[in-house]
Amino acid sequence: MLLRKAREYRQRYGVELRVVSITDITGTAHSQDGIDLKLALERCRRGVIDYPGAEEMSGVDAIREIEAELVVEATPSNIKNGEPGMSHMLESFRAGKHVVTSNKGPLALEYWKLVQEAERRGVEFRFEASVGGAMPVINLARETLSGDRIVGIEGILNGTTNYILTRMTTEGTSYETVLREAQELGYAEADPTYDIEGIDTASKLVILANAVMGMRARFGDVKVRGITRITPEAVRLAKERGYVIKLIGEVKDSRLEVAPRLVPESHPLNVGGALNVAMLECDVAGRITVIGKGAGAIETQSAILSDIISIARRCGG
Amino acid sequence: MRISLDVELEDTPGQLLRALEPISKHGGNIISIVHIRDERRPSRRLCVHLVMDVHDRETLEVILEELKSRGIGIARVGEDVRKERLTLLIIGHVVDTDLRDTIDRLNAIEGVLVSDLSLAMTHPEAESSAIVSIEVSQGADTEKLMAAIDEIAREKNLEILRSLEV
Repeated sequence: MLLRKAREYRQRYGVELRVVSITDITGTAHSQDGIDLKLALERCRRGVIDYPGAEEMSGVDAIREIEAELVVEATPSNIKNGEPGMSHMLESFRAGKHVVTSNKGPLALEYWKLVQEAERRGVEFRFEASVGGAMPVINLARETLSGDRIVGIEGILNGTTNYILTRMTTEGTSYETVLREAQELGYAEADPTYDIEGIDTASKLVILANAVMGMRARFGDVKVRGITRITPEAVRLAKERGYVIKLIGEVKDSRLEVAPRLVPESHPLNVGGALNVAMLECDVAGRITVIGKGAGAIETQSAILSDIISIARRCGG
Repeated sequence: MRISLDVELEDTPGQLLRALEPISKHGGNIISIVHIRDERRPSRRLCVHLVMDVHDRETLEVILEELKSRGIGIARVGEDVRKERLTLLIIGHVVDTDLRDTIDRLNAIEGVLVSDLSLAMTHPEAESSAIVSIEVSQGADTEKLMAAIDEIAREKNLEILRSLEV
């Protein structure tokens, strides 16, 4: 995406973005003059180690030693201890580097510790991509709705479970059948536990509660229930009464809850497929609803790029 | 707040308008007017039953004062209690886990009334689903209701889905 949009960003924002290093599980590629992104995309199918001159260097070392202004942290999310993302972020702050991330594990576990550390070191820390993928929520609430206080948030924050429940509703198929097909189509992981048990939604909810509502919430504060017990009969009964079943994350009055809920068919939160939706209860604007694609490698880039550009414009360069 | 009001009017033209004016003037919103024609009062007065939304207690007092000063009799004033509907979808061995008890425990909470129930049972041995409609009055203890729902779900191993709050 950076390759595609380089000229556009230069023209629209007067911003020049140069990738100086890339690290993945295989190693680190480094070029202070700028990585040849086209070459990297061609050569590095297996891993970054195939880039000319790449070496086996860990993420933490790369962050510490390589000269750069901003780190994009996009390693897999880990809700148990947040690693390796947590270390990457803290090391970046220590090295005086801004951080843009899509990694929700560290944020769900230690939101305030990370935010305060970034503040102490005087660097920017942005994470729009950690919640809702391409759907803007965090920046929307904090920057665009800055005149309002957000008093409640309600939404569908997980595309996998939305896909499953939507299909159960429209087709009447069983949960197991739809899950299996979802896995085949790539809408669900081989181990879908985090999605179907509501853990993914819960971690995003905690981030929102902290980032948007200024709460001091921890992952353990969320009451979580997943969708594993939903039956076709239940879906049908709900439909007869004009309701659809959705896995909803809700923050209200200091209560955080993820649970399958009955949503009226005509309600703004009734969005289908694998879409995400977030409804913000604002004290001046009232209810603001955002809908978008929650996940997807390409869609998530929208949020990451937006954060990179924000920082670039603020900090010059 | 929603108020129900019974006023006594003289059965002459323009009386109803005179009664409604003070309400309108002070920002009251008329919800319903029932003109009870056959309930004649001794002094040739009519009874009109009004339901209205007023901003607060003070506004209500002002309106009542003005009605009195216009010679309009006030037979009854009451706060109309508003009800909200909460729907629950229960999945599990709904009947076998003493459905009567489940309903009773919900009804036991003040302001809460189970008004409707639908059951779907595919097979006697299998789990079933039930949809329950609950009327919740304005002053009801919703915290207690939530806690009761959680307790029932835990004890009876039921999955209980709540409708979104209005």
